[in-house]
Amino acid sequence: MAHQAHSYHMVDPSPWPIFGAAAGLLTTSGLITWFHYNSSTLLTLGLLSMLLVMLQWWRDVVRESTFQGHHTPTVQKGLRYGMILFITSEAFFFLGFFWAFFHSSLVPTPELGGQWPPAGIKPLNPLEVPLLNTAILLASGVTVTWAHHSITEGNRKQAIHALTLTILLGFYFTALQAMEYYEAPFSIADSVYGSTFFVATGFHGLHVIIGSSFLSVCLLRLIKFHFTSNHHFGFEAAAWYWHFVDVIWLFLYMTIYWWGS
Amino acid sequence: SLRQVSQRTISTASRRQLENRVPEKQKLFQEDNGLPVYLKGGIMDGLLYKVTMGITVLGTGYVIYELLMASMPKKQK
Repeated sequence: MAHQAHSYHMVDPSPWPIFGAAAGLLTTSGLITWFHYNSSTLLTLGLLSMLLVMLQWWRDVVRESTFQGHHTPTVQKGLRYGMILFITSEAFFFLGFFWAFFHSSLVPTPELGGQWPPAGIKPLNPLEVPLLNTAILLASGVTVTWAHHSITEGNRKQAIHALTLTILLGFYFTALQAMEYYEAPFSIADSVYGSTFFVATGFHGLHVIIGSSFLSVCLLRLIKFHFTSNHHFGFEAAAWYWHFVDVIWLFLYMTIYWWGS
Repeated sequence: SLRQVSQRTISTASRRQLENRVPEKQKLFQEDNGLPVYLKGGIMDGLLYKVTMGITVLGTGYVIYELLMASMPKKQK
């Protein structure tokens, strides 16, 4: 049996990249048929295949690392660079929406009454639920760090408790935001105020859900003994992502919720 | 008594759920059977793979069909 003379991971041939690309095709075409022809079949197929590909691809990464041992320090370094680059790209994604917000709010047009918030818009009170949400996410940043320390110290029970608490705080945030969305006196159609508010906070909320899912998978793996005290990069990646989500919220809160009211 | 019942240890069946089963998985996925990692876990792997392929291939075909239909002129009355 041949053995490699390097520390990199040459992966087995896999169908997930091309199936993932096809899933992207189905999802985007599905959006078109949903918008223009009132048919949601393709969109459903697209989202379903996307979910299946993600589950199987990431399942395979767990197999390759925890079960087959392919994640050498060199491989892990590459994964760290990858996650950092990905989060950076997400930061630029949100930068665009913040740009849009400041473009419209710094020079409010006559159509808005020359003011921000626009005439007739009653913004949410930043000292009510939005402030609670800020406290929740900050607390979850503390608990996820607590979980990390527990993992490195080999304290299994504490790590499970801290990570579970982090996830529960994430769910609490999402539930409160959903309620805020339902109760808000303005909608996405209410001038550029509604557009900037709901698109920016909406994409943030989606990222909270993604982050909570990532953390939940980590909790499952933690319970199943996948992590060791000095090799648990999946958890670290999730924690980085979670801190990123928290930072984005802080910017949202300071700019759109507070300054923008 | 209630005291004795509440202090009972976990039975052997559920204790296995809380044990470290990573070594078993390591053995399964390091078996020299030539299977690629996406099929190496068992029968369910193959099933999931086929379902995913079915959805993506049929879906892609449907997209091409929809594109052809959308690019045709509508019939004049």
